[in-house]
Amino acid sequence: MATRSVQQGLKQVKPMLSVDRTEARRRVLNLYKAWYRQVPYVVKDFHIPVTVEQGRAKVREMFLKNKHVSDVRAIDMLVIKGQMDLVETANIWKQRNHIMMFFQDTVNPKPADFLSKFYEGQD
Amino acid sequence: MAGIARIAPSLSASICRGQSLSALSVVARTNTTEAKKPEKTTFGPLKDQDRIFTNLYGRYDFGLKGAKARGSWYKTKEIILKGHEWILKEVTTSGLRGRGGAGFPTGMKWGFMNKPSDGRPKYLVVNADEGEPGTCKDREIMRHDPHKLIEGCLVAGVAMHARAAYIYIRGEFYNEASNLQIAINEAYKEGLIGKNACGSGYDFDVFVHRGAGAYICGEETALIESLEGKQGKPRLKPPFPADVGVFGCPTTVSNVETVAVAPDICRRGGEWFASFGRDRNRGTKLFNISGHVNNPTTVEEEMSVPLKDLIERHAGGVIGGWDNLLAVIPGGSSTPLIPKEECDTVLMDFDDLIRVQTGLGTAAIIVMNKSSDIVRCIARLIDFYKHESCGQCTPCREGVSWMMKIMHRFQTGNAKRDEIDMLYELSKQIEGHTICALGDGAAWPVQGLIRHFRPELERRMDAYEAQQAARN
Amino acid sequence: MLRLWPLRQISRLQNAISLTQQACNKSSVPAPSPELVEVFVDDKQVFVEPGTTVLQACAAAGVEIPRFCYHDRLSIAGNCRMCLVEVERSAKPVASCAMPVMKGMKVKTDSPVTRKAREGVMEFLLVNHPLDCPICDQGGECDLQDQSMAFGSDRSRFTDNAFTGKRAVEDKNIGPLIKTIMTRCIHCTRCIRFASEIAGVEDLGTSGRGTEMQVGTYVEKMFKSEMSGNVIDLCPVGALTSKPYAFTARPWENRRIESVDVMDAVGSNIVVCMRSNEVMRILPRLNEDINEEWISDKTRFAYDGLKRQRLTTPFVRSGTGELVPADWESAFVKIAERVNATDGDLIAGVAGGQVDAEALIALKDMLNRLGSESVCTEEKFPMTNSGIDFRSNYIMNTTISGIEESDLILLVGTNPRLEAPLVNARIRKTWINSDLCVTVLGAPVDLSYDYQYLGDSFELLTDILNDKHPLAKGLKEASKPMIILGSAVLQGENSGAILDTVKSLSEKLRAGSEQEDWKVFNVLHTQANQVGALDLGYAPGVDAMKGSKPSVLFLLGADAGTVKREDLYENALVVYIGHHGDYGAQIADVVLPAAAYTEKDAVYVNTEGRAQIGRQAVSPPGMARQDWKIIRALSEMLGVTLPYDKLSDVRARLGEVSPTFNHAGQVEDAGFFNLSDSATVPRKESRPAVQPLSPALLSLRDFYMTDPISRASLTMAKCVQAVDDAEKNPYSKPEQS
Repeated sequence: MATRSVQQGLKQVKPMLSVDRTEARRRVLNLYKAWYRQVPYVVKDFHIPVTVEQGRAKVREMFLKNKHVSDVRAIDMLVIKGQMDLVETANIWKQRNHIMMFFQDTVNPKPADFLSKFYEGQD
Repeated sequence: MAGIARIAPSLSASICRGQSLSALSVVARTNTTEAKKPEKTTFGPLKDQDRIFTNLYGRYDFGLKGAKARGSWYKTKEIILKGHEWILKEVTTSGLRGRGGAGFPTGMKWGFMNKPSDGRPKYLVVNADEGEPGTCKDREIMRHDPHKLIEGCLVAGVAMHARAAYIYIRGEFYNEASNLQIAINEAYKEGLIGKNACGSGYDFDVFVHRGAGAYICGEETALIESLEGKQGKPRLKPPFPADVGVFGCPTTVSNVETVAVAPDICRRGGEWFASFGRDRNRGTKLFNISGHVNNPTTVEEEMSVPLKDLIERHAGGVIGGWDNLLAVIPGGSSTPLIPKEECDTVLMDFDDLIRVQTGLGTAAIIVMNKSSDIVRCIARLIDFYKHESCGQCTPCREGVSWMMKIMHRFQTGNAKRDEIDMLYELSKQIEGHTICALGDGAAWPVQGLIRHFRPELERRMDAYEAQQAARN
Repeated sequence: MLRLWPLRQISRLQNAISLTQQACNKSSVPAPSPELVEVFVDDKQVFVEPGTTVLQACAAAGVEIPRFCYHDRLSIAGNCRMCLVEVERSAKPVASCAMPVMKGMKVKTDSPVTRKAREGVMEFLLVNHPLDCPICDQGGECDLQDQSMAFGSDRSRFTDNAFTGKRAVEDKNIGPLIKTIMTRCIHCTRCIRFASEIAGVEDLGTSGRGTEMQVGTYVEKMFKSEMSGNVIDLCPVGALTSKPYAFTARPWENRRIESVDVMDAVGSNIVVCMRSNEVMRILPRLNEDINEEWISDKTRFAYDGLKRQRLTTPFVRSGTGELVPADWESAFVKIAERVNATDGDLIAGVAGGQVDAEALIALKDMLNRLGSESVCTEEKFPMTNSGIDFRSNYIMNTTISGIEESDLILLVGTNPRLEAPLVNARIRKTWINSDLCVTVLGAPVDLSYDYQYLGDSFELLTDILNDKHPLAKGLKEASKPMIILGSAVLQGENSGAILDTVKSLSEKLRAGSEQEDWKVFNVLHTQANQVGALDLGYAPGVDAMKGSKPSVLFLLGADAGTVKREDLYENALVVYIGHHGDYGAQIADVVLPAAAYTEKDAVYVNTEGRAQIGRQAVSPPGMARQDWKIIRALSEMLGVTLPYDKLSDVRARLGEVSPTFNHAGQVEDAGFFNLSDSATVPRKESRPAVQPLSPALLSLRDFYMTDPISRASLTMAKCVQAVDDAEKNPYSKPEQS
């Protein structure tokens, strides 16, 4: 009964790609694998100061960043975006700095209080 | 230019404002109603006793004694005492039209000055800046009969309540200016002008101002500017000089001849003056005949005298006979020329010359016989206008020098046929688009040439082309 | 020459006549409300005042007539002939700029005749105009270019078999500001009319005639006027362009920022043209109440001073006495160390004349929080009697546009032509158009109009007050007299006596006048924001501050050299906050780089008491910061954090202090004239001799360099040089620069 109503609920919202969580999970894993395999090429093609391990760690990190997402449609959307990113990366439509944007931990946060903004010269 | 004031009544009609337009029609109407007696059909020759300028050729004394002997200053006091309205009436009756070229009815023009005074003095300015090529009438008056002019100044001054007259004389007229000054000094000495002029109780001064030799200073507003000590460049109208003229005061600018005939009109009566010439073209007039005639001369004749009569009788005929005539410029350099066919019949007055698409202008007849290079003649005139353009407004400044360049090419024939139409269009772009009439005056000779001598222009172009082809 | 009495008499007579006519009309039939003239423009009916020109009537009907020579503020020349229109029942097209409308006139602005006339004129103009648009500075803002797009032919009919070429005219050298390429001139004579009518110098004119006519200075000499730059804007083509701006930018590359000028106390409205964070040029902005559409040469050309001598980093004086570049934090720390160890009474602030209101209020608030009341301006103003207690005592009460209503002006110790060129232009305009009579107490300087010179002694002033001088009668009889007191004479000793006398005189006239709200008394300041500083409660003059021998002194843009180290406590700490390395920075121990007027959003109050907002065009150079932010940041370091973080907060604080700042662009009226006069105690004690009432700026040479920006400007230096050369030998060729 309950499952049926859930299924009805799922049917009522039009699925994006996946009809259920299993399918969504499969898609995520496929995307992850694709990225995982692509990383060595990325490191080489873009000539970035990152090792393959670091790259894979970053891929993992990016995936884990969204692990709280449970909505199937949201997962699908993220997967689509991830695929687009992958295509752009693989085709070298992206440039070096775009790849390095993933590793931007060192960027300082924007100042918030008046004095820091003053020293920074930012409004 | 003793007036680009001159030129074609059609122009003068456009110059005057709405009020004067309506006034013009009134004048025309009164004239027609008055002209009940049968109109004359033949004009000229003028009888000696009807001549106003009896010392035109300097045979007698130009001084006060001689002038008085010839009738000047006779009963001037009485004329003054009759008052300005009487003088205006006589001048209006006489049908006198301005002799400077535009032919504006003088009585009406002087009447514009009769507005109630606002405390400013009024002035009469006499335009003696006679610079129009071919014209030499005013200088004859000033050097041989200056008292006519001075007396005229007084009479005209009284007619418009003027405080003083300024005679703006062309700078090159040295002898004329000195004769005039001698005459003025005599008149002052005799008490004819100055304080209590002629004992009439009217105060009137006459000043002579010598110009510096610019043709454009004959245009009335440029003349006023020059008189004020500024560059002689025409002012915008309105305001007309009758409102704001010399030194900011109401002013009337009149030609020497117009002013000089006024005393005689008053003495003999407007009716007498009106008995000469056709309707709307009344009076006697000084004609200058120059060019290819046996005996170039200045002569006083009745208005509406046939051009052929004038040339044959007074100038001894065209060199080589009448059949040798090519063209005539009938009214000074700024009027379009007319070919021989028109010359046979045309009458020398405002209306008949308008009929043949030219104008009376200053009545300076320039005769060209078949020995003359007509294109070169007109090109030379355009040179003159190019040199004398004041440079103020665009069409005249740029257009006339462009026309000059084209005319010089036409002279040799180094041009294309369709450039004739272009030149005509250019002249139309200048005509009527400028502040003063110099642009018009420069455009009209060209238009006259193209109108009547197009085949000649084309012949030269063909000849040039053939010559070039032969050379190659 | 321009002022012909008969013309002026006529206008008055005509007014009188029309008035009597109206009166007659009223008696017989109710007069038709306003006697407007009916005109048809392209069959569209419009009603206009009698006496308006056809061109204006067309504008009223929404039809723009092309023109070159016509300009609203200049006399009508009517010589370009571009504005020809067809008028029904007129044999030839009429020049619409000069032709007054007549009843029932039918104007056709787009008929074949009109179009043909315009095309003809355009063709003629282009016959001799060079085709150098690609290298012409006017390109993109050229009237000829624009109008030839509309009326020009797509091909030339000009055949030049003999290769005579177009007319070529030698370029004139008329000084370091205006570049002339006279071949491009279309002889519209706008510049000539500007010079003789607005600027009042008969330097420009035409020579020659016909095609040889040239616009120029007759003999080659400098165009000596304090407003000469305006001919650049007036020139419809590229004949007169800006020399400093030459070949630097195209108009479409510039961003235009509307701002306010600070070179004098007029507060001219300007447009700052900016490209890639650099001020490219400064243009006037229309404001009928202040500068109409003119600006002075200093306003227009001193901008290159914004790029030179700038402070771009904080400096701290080292142990060896040198100023060493530092960062903001260490500069602040250095100040904080000293301030925290100093009593509030020994801290003082001095503000210069170009400082914006935001910085002024921030400095005042900060010092007050530190326990100091000693904030003052460099410019003096007498504090005797009611002094600055009443706002009406120190502003230009009648406003600048009010000059046009006045019929008698008494200038006391001022040379408006150099101190406030646009006020002078307004006086000249009024003088030309009305019966205005100007009298001068001060120096017999050239004001570009006739005036009656009374002398320069203080006694004359008291004589006028006591009815012992003939002018007293004239002032009494005038319906709207104005007395303009220059701030320069208030800088000397005992200036209070001058102010008191002028005020008493003004109040006597005001009270005796029938004009209810006509205020006679005016002060003409020379410093851009002096009125703003006084409004905010700054004390004028540094004398009182010197008396207290401060130990920490803040110089806020104070570069006039009124404070010297000797005036201060031994080893006093001097902090300079400003934008130029001028006098103030030299004596400072800590230099904090601030923003110039083009680099901040700021409020300035002009001599009329009108608060105006200047907008930021470019960012401050290097590490420089906007003034109020520097003070706000410093206050935090000093432990007295000011309660505003945003510009809007500062503006709100300004509004709290003075209502002047609540509505920008409008004059905040001052009242309490009676009270301020009654507070003036007549001084009975014998006065020490007062120095002559002579203004500070006497000749054009003095005009160009008066403040840190213009002192740093190369262009202004060239102007001074050129004026010197011209004075030495007026008719020699100026040095080609």
